[in-house]
Amino acid sequence: MIDLIHIQILSAIMFCIGVYGVMTRRSAILILMCIELMLNAVNINFIGFAAFRDFSESQRIFGHVIVVFIITIAAVELALAIAIILRLYKNKSSVNIDEVDLMKW
Amino acid sequence: MGINLTYIPPIICGVSFVLTALFARKVPLASSLISVFTILCSFILFIFILTDFLSSDLNSIKFSIDWIVVSDMRITWGILLDSLSVTMLGLITLVALLVQIYSISYMKGDSRFGWYFSVHSLFAAAMITVVLVDNLILLYFAWELVGLGSYLLIGFWYEKRAASEAAKKAFITTRIGDVALLIGIILIFKSTGTFDISSIFHIARNGGISENILTISTFLIFLGAMGKSAQFPFHVWLPDAMEGPTPVSALIHAATMVAAGVYLVARMMPLFSLAPYVLDFVVFIGLFTFIFAGTMAIVMHDIKRVLAYSTISHLGLMMMSLGFMGVASAIFHLIVHGISKALLFLGAGSLMHEMDGETDIRKMGGLINKMPITAITFIIGSVSLAGIIPLSGFFSKDEILLTVFEKGGILILLPALAGAFLSSLYMFRLTFITFFGSLKNDNSKVGESPILMTLPLILLALLAIFMSILLLEISTFKGFIYFISGHKAHLNLLLIVFSSILSFVALILAWFIYIKDSKYLIDWYKSKMKWNYNLILNKYYIDELYQYIINQIIIRFAQFVALFDRLVVNDIGVDRSSLSIRFLGLRLKLIQTGKMHGYAISMLFGFLILILTWAIL
Repeated sequence: MIDLIHIQILSAIMFCIGVYGVMTRRSAILILMCIELMLNAVNINFIGFAAFRDFSESQRIFGHVIVVFIITIAAVELALAIAIILRLYKNKSSVNIDEVDLMKW
Repeated sequence: MGINLTYIPPIICGVSFVLTALFARKVPLASSLISVFTILCSFILFIFILTDFLSSDLNSIKFSIDWIVVSDMRITWGILLDSLSVTMLGLITLVALLVQIYSISYMKGDSRFGWYFSVHSLFAAAMITVVLVDNLILLYFAWELVGLGSYLLIGFWYEKRAASEAAKKAFITTRIGDVALLIGIILIFKSTGTFDISSIFHIARNGGISENILTISTFLIFLGAMGKSAQFPFHVWLPDAMEGPTPVSALIHAATMVAAGVYLVARMMPLFSLAPYVLDFVVFIGLFTFIFAGTMAIVMHDIKRVLAYSTISHLGLMMMSLGFMGVASAIFHLIVHGISKALLFLGAGSLMHEMDGETDIRKMGGLINKMPITAITFIIGSVSLAGIIPLSGFFSKDEILLTVFEKGGILILLPALAGAFLSSLYMFRLTFITFFGSLKNDNSKVGESPILMTLPLILLALLAIFMSILLLEISTFKGFIYFISGHKAHLNLLLIVFSSILSFVALILAWFIYIKDSKYLIDWYKSKMKWNYNLILNKYYIDELYQYIINQIIIRFAQFVALFDRLVVNDIGVDRSSLSIRFLGLRLKLIQTGKMHGYAISMLFGFLILILTWAIL
């Protein structure tokens, strides 16, 4: 039987994969994907709580609403990030973020 | 009609100051006329106010408008009109009017002619405000403005180093007293919660101010009065203030500003009368200054300085009278002395005007034939101040001596009589040396001054002769002493006889020494008492003492403070802290590598530490 704890473990694993990916990958696209992974791990957590806890209807809808918000914001963020990465590629012919260290002292 | 217009004189004088200050450079003559016109209007208003006031049974009148209201504290623009302020208003407007008329001729051709008159307007506005206001805070403002006017006029010829130094000295010396005055006012405000003078008296009479506070605050107020009235430790500024134009000395340093201190003590007399120790101190300072300044007036060679020391001495006499709560006699002497001394200063100015600014009396002599009007009016002024019987100076001095005798007894009266003898002696010495004796060769071309200068002299001389009429009862007016204090004046025949004999002795002594030229006495004094003569001629070395104190203590201390400021505040406090921030910044900026992974890792670890601390706590 699937329970809240399973959902939470799934969410935690997804989040850790995301963090690991952000730490280790060099490609900007991959880092972006890992960030999406982290966001969705959070989404799953929200949905899990909304589905498995004995909340009232009005409070339950709250979890759903926040998930929709996060999806929207993720889409917007993605659009911006992709635009930045495209400009980066045009200038440097590479998306390796190790080569991008202009914003230092 | 008159009383409701009491607020007009300070306002029109202030407006005149602004107008003339703006246009003084373009149209100097017009600005002088504006200034004279406004002070003339003020004087005419004074006459209306006086007649109204006399017909209203001498009730004091008060009206005020709110200026600042903060919960319980209210500061007002207000006027308190009683016999004291009416008297002062009359003295100020009259002397200022005559001095300004005189100045038109005296200052002719000066490069800052217009500015001179606008400062005169400023001074008149401030001085009228001082005597009319009903609350202490406004009085303090006007008091400071009077000091400013004095500073500007003493230093009027600021190209002369001595003049600018004297202006600074006057300002700083009176400043010391002013600070004390301000502290005194604040102390009174703290214990009564009001600045309004009559409310303060009311509270003080009902015991609303503790005795200690009362003693301290009246003492501090008296320090302020001592500064402005040039009493003993603060007297050093007045002789130096003679560097200013002579009409200024007549107006400010004889009749009005130096009288402000006497006025202040007279005004606050209900408070002083509750502080007997302070009154004793007032008597002591007054008596000491009276004699001390008199001795210096005898040996000075500069005509204006003799008059300056004489002014200090007579202010001491007034203070002594105030110390015995003789307000009426002090104020009567104040106006008589103001008129006579203004006359003497204007006479001295007339002499200097004709002699290219010469002030050394040893170079004068025999001028009575050359400048008859100046000489005769000057002699009237000095005879009045010397206290020869029919002139008003005699009666005013006698009133004070009577007060001293009744309240203080014979022990105080004797030194006071000695002071009176000194003041007769130096007045006659000055007159004899200046106007009698043989004419010096350099002065053979000297002539009489123009009419604009002699006219005020004649008017003032008439006043100096006939002022004592004020003491008499004329129909409803019950005499000046009653006008101020509500008591009838009375005379003590023995005292009158004794003090007139003393004045005549001084006259005869001065005659023998300075006219008969019996060098015997003077030579004896100068040879046998050389140390004493030198001591007095050098003004008891008080200037040197102050200079020594300034050099040795104040400047040393200032140097120490400057060193502390440089080493501790600047080097350690400011430079060190800014340097350490700079150093820290140099090290810390290396953290900013621009590598995204580094940032991500530090974010992660930061977040973990936050979570851990939150979990542990």
